[in-house]
Amino acid sequence: MMLPTQLANTIADPRAYADGEAIHAAFRTVRQTAPLAQAQPDGYDPFWVVSRHADVMTIERQNDIFHNGDRSTFLSPKEGETMVRNLVGEPNLIRSLVSVDGQEHRDLRGIVFPHVTPKAIRAWEDSIRVIAREFVDVMLKTNGKCDFAKDVALLYPLRVIMTVLGVPPEDEPFMLRLTQELFSNADPELNRLGKGIGEASAEDGLKALMQVAQDLEAYFSEVTKKYRANPTSHVNSLIANAKINGEYLNYRQMMGYYIIAATAGHDTTSNTTSAAMWALAERPDMFAQIKKDPALINAFVEESIRWAVPVKHFMRTATQDTEVAGQKIKKDDWLMLAYQSATRDEAVFDQPFEFRLDRAGAQQIAFGYGAHVCLGQHLARMEMRILWEELLPKLKSVELAGKPENTISNFVCGPKRVPITFTLN
Amino acid sequence: MRKWRCRNCGFIYDEALGLPAEGIAPGTRWADVPEDWYCPDCGTEKSDFEMEPA
Repeated sequence: MMLPTQLANTIADPRAYADGEAIHAAFRTVRQTAPLAQAQPDGYDPFWVVSRHADVMTIERQNDIFHNGDRSTFLSPKEGETMVRNLVGEPNLIRSLVSVDGQEHRDLRGIVFPHVTPKAIRAWEDSIRVIAREFVDVMLKTNGKCDFAKDVALLYPLRVIMTVLGVPPEDEPFMLRLTQELFSNADPELNRLGKGIGEASAEDGLKALMQVAQDLEAYFSEVTKKYRANPTSHVNSLIANAKINGEYLNYRQMMGYYIIAATAGHDTTSNTTSAAMWALAERPDMFAQIKKDPALINAFVEESIRWAVPVKHFMRTATQDTEVAGQKIKKDDWLMLAYQSATRDEAVFDQPFEFRLDRAGAQQIAFGYGAHVCLGQHLARMEMRILWEELLPKLKSVELAGKPENTISNFVCGPKRVPITFTLN
Repeated sequence: MRKWRCRNCGFIYDEALGLPAEGIAPGTRWADVPEDWYCPDCGTEKSDFEMEPA
């Protein structure tokens, strides 16, 4: 079965994700009528829309059958994918952890993995708490009114990840700007061209993304030199000095690793933190409940990850004929793991459109699942917990001071403006 | 013999198979897996594993 074109177009439309309700309505229809069906938005190759929680988990656990890197890892129009292949000889502009498979993926992941387990990151807790206090102080000095996204949520996770990577604070604005240009290429406020959907050719859009990647690569080439000369325990030093079978990582592997760590490592957490404050500001009862019982902060963080679902999808490609939930998937078929939908699956989550602190049972899968589950998930949880532990005891009340606004993107995104007013204890 | 599933990534620890690559012999009961052991795929701690239905 093929989804109606209008529905398929909505699933691909960055504006639907910015709207929120539009994308929720589209996926609700998909889950009710054709939860695993093909779609072909205008300008795209056909792909399966995997809308259910169970089917996303099934596919992610079979990472030998469903590859990340055989085609574009995110939803890319036909023209864009062809141009990328012509430019770099691979389906993805950046060869990172999310676009490699098999032994290469295991080897690359193994470089940083031992340093980001729950046990390993405990060593960072005190330093991260110091950073959280700095940003809480910044917020408290705004006289009760701020844009929480811009003033806190964008900057705190950036400082945390850059500290872990070994990037100096003076380089943070550069990293933030390039991250936004990389992930928000449909949003005229954030992309490099300053143009909206339909205002620039696909070629110009791709050239702009290439320039962003080249700017990041130029920066990280210097990082490699620095950390090879003077190795440290920072993650960038691990990447610079890592060897697989006695050889340093090749150029694309190394650049891809730096780039994903320095971009996805904070943008996702920023989006989740902004969305969490948005939810909190609209729910005074929940705010009071957490203040009364700070042990609920862990549940609040976990639910905010499900709620925000900062990565809207990843794509997979079938390496062989197979079957999922009764549907015949053919070799080379392209599949969208629609986390946006799976995290609202009524079959798994009771009242999925309610923000609840008492969810038990089903695991939210916004970090993905299986071998490609987010490498930094434990760090992300810890830094969000610490921020709320530091901030909430100081606040007496918080409410929205205007309409929050989401980034225009169908990939990695969340609120870009969350205006609030607050009072202090 | 039971199986235990990681909540975060779905990795399965099967008591019958153990994890010889990590020095955990086949037949090692979940209770005998060291408390500081963690999921080899995602780092999740032992306490966040759930028993699979029999």
